[in-house]
Amino acid sequence: MSLLKPFSKLPGLCTANILLVESEEQFQQSLADALMEETAVTVNVRLAKNLPLPMKNEESRPRIDLVVFIINLTSELSFQSAEASLKYLDPGYFLGKVCFIVTNARNASVPTERLDAVRKLAASLHCPLLFAEDQTPDGVTNATERLLTILKVAAGLVPMTTALYLSNLTRCTVPPDIDQPSFD
Amino acid sequence: MDESTKRLLQRLMRRIQTQMLRTTLDKWGRLTGEQLRSMDFTLSKWALTEKLLAICEENELAVKHITELEMICESDVIDNPSQGMWYAFQLMDPEGTYYDAHSVELTQFKEQFKSHLRELIRHVSVKIKKHTDEAVWIRIAWGDTFSRPNHMKPTYVVHYLQTPYVFVTSLTSKQKPLLSQALVLSTRYQAIKDANLSGRKLTAIRDLLMRQYHQVFPTRYPAPIAENDQTVSNQHIEREQAEPAANRLQAACEAFGGGVLPQLQSAVYKLETKFRDHSNKTMTEREEPFKCVVKFASTNLLESLRHCASSGIASTPVTPLLSSIPLKGKNYFVITDNGPGPSSQMRQPQN
Repeated sequence: MSLLKPFSKLPGLCTANILLVESEEQFQQSLADALMEETAVTVNVRLAKNLPLPMKNEESRPRIDLVVFIINLTSELSFQSAEASLKYLDPGYFLGKVCFIVTNARNASVPTERLDAVRKLAASLHCPLLFAEDQTPDGVTNATERLLTILKVAAGLVPMTTALYLSNLTRCTVPPDIDQPSFD
Repeated sequence: MDESTKRLLQRLMRRIQTQMLRTTLDKWGRLTGEQLRSMDFTLSKWALTEKLLAICEENELAVKHITELEMICESDVIDNPSQGMWYAFQLMDPEGTYYDAHSVELTQFKEQFKSHLRELIRHVSVKIKKHTDEAVWIRIAWGDTFSRPNHMKPTYVVHYLQTPYVFVTSLTSKQKPLLSQALVLSTRYQAIKDANLSGRKLTAIRDLLMRQYHQVFPTRYPAPIAENDQTVSNQHIEREQAEPAANRLQAACEAFGGGVLPQLQSAVYKLETKFRDHSNKTMTEREEPFKCVVKFASTNLLESLRHCASSGIASTPVTPLLSSIPLKGKNYFVITDNGPGPSSQMRQPQN
């Protein structure tokens, strides 16, 4: 099993490395372009469709500070692919170095069970869950800003704050009545 | 001009776009320069129609002239699918040597076709025109023993002379044997069969059948595919799984083609295979085949299938059921248990 390990390599100076995992490979491209706008820190973006990552990139790959799973709620395949990829992450990542982004949450055709399932997954792993709007440039910029905040902390570039501390504040929680039927 | 001719012209005017009207009338050539200048193309379509009707009355134009205009519109001007579905047919078993059937030239074909069709059915109006791209357009208005040809429901036939392909639209099942016989006799083949390909756009089914789109062949050392729209511009962005993605894209393009693909609207698979599912004994034990029809529909079917393969939704190498669509140039398949892979049979004539 080729697990992705969080601390097996040395960090770079003033550098943050982020891995965006998305089954459709659409939103990750616009997010990557927007992340490049950041000037204060050198951001390196790695894009993948799913985990495990190919072995031959092992040498050249830098230390990944934050792994982001992008789930498109309109597609069941997207959710299943993200869930299946989770097994290939070393447990050390779940101490604040994993984040979930969900798109199309407002779409009427999305079954409520899927969003609940994503919420439960994020809550059980103690990870933050962000909602993003991927069709407009404003939505992309918005999502990028929030991601950068988490990324800088996860890369250790913010003094007095660690990824674990931040994740305690931002992690997803499920309301106790999540399994009750809701009123439409 | 009688009523039916007027109605024909009015219907035609409804379908032409105003900006194309001037060039169309120019091509038609039945209006004098002065008449053409007198038409004010900024007026409403209805006003233009009235003006055109008046000019045609003045020139004493008859039905056959109006049908000329209709043919110009169908073949050159109106690009969007107006005629409904086009069906492809293939001529089989050329007579004599290879050169006999392939050397039928235009005037010979025209005379023979008209005379054979007139022999089969007395009241029929046929117009044949050759286009710059080697296509012969035939417009047929059918009548019967008692009535004159009906110009409101013409059949259009397009044939490329040195090929065995014929494309037809608006043909009823009664007219089909007559047309088939006339075509077979005038092109010196022995039979004609349904090519199992249909679509709304003539150019699309023609390009598919005659392979006039960008084909990608398997190579040992593929050059980087130029139209990879996910090119990474920045050195800080890196794709982890770039190689598997490139392989999938290559396999998808090999199966369906590169660049812009001909626009097909649907693919139909008629299954007549035995039911196979070990968990369901009652159905599996039945002797007769389980009949089922699977239809794929899309605005651009080949493009969607290629995207399925390149994004990994459909596994590569692409299943022969899907890749036979461009390979065999068909979009109707009947699948039986006999052979491996899809086998196609003659389709029953529709309507």
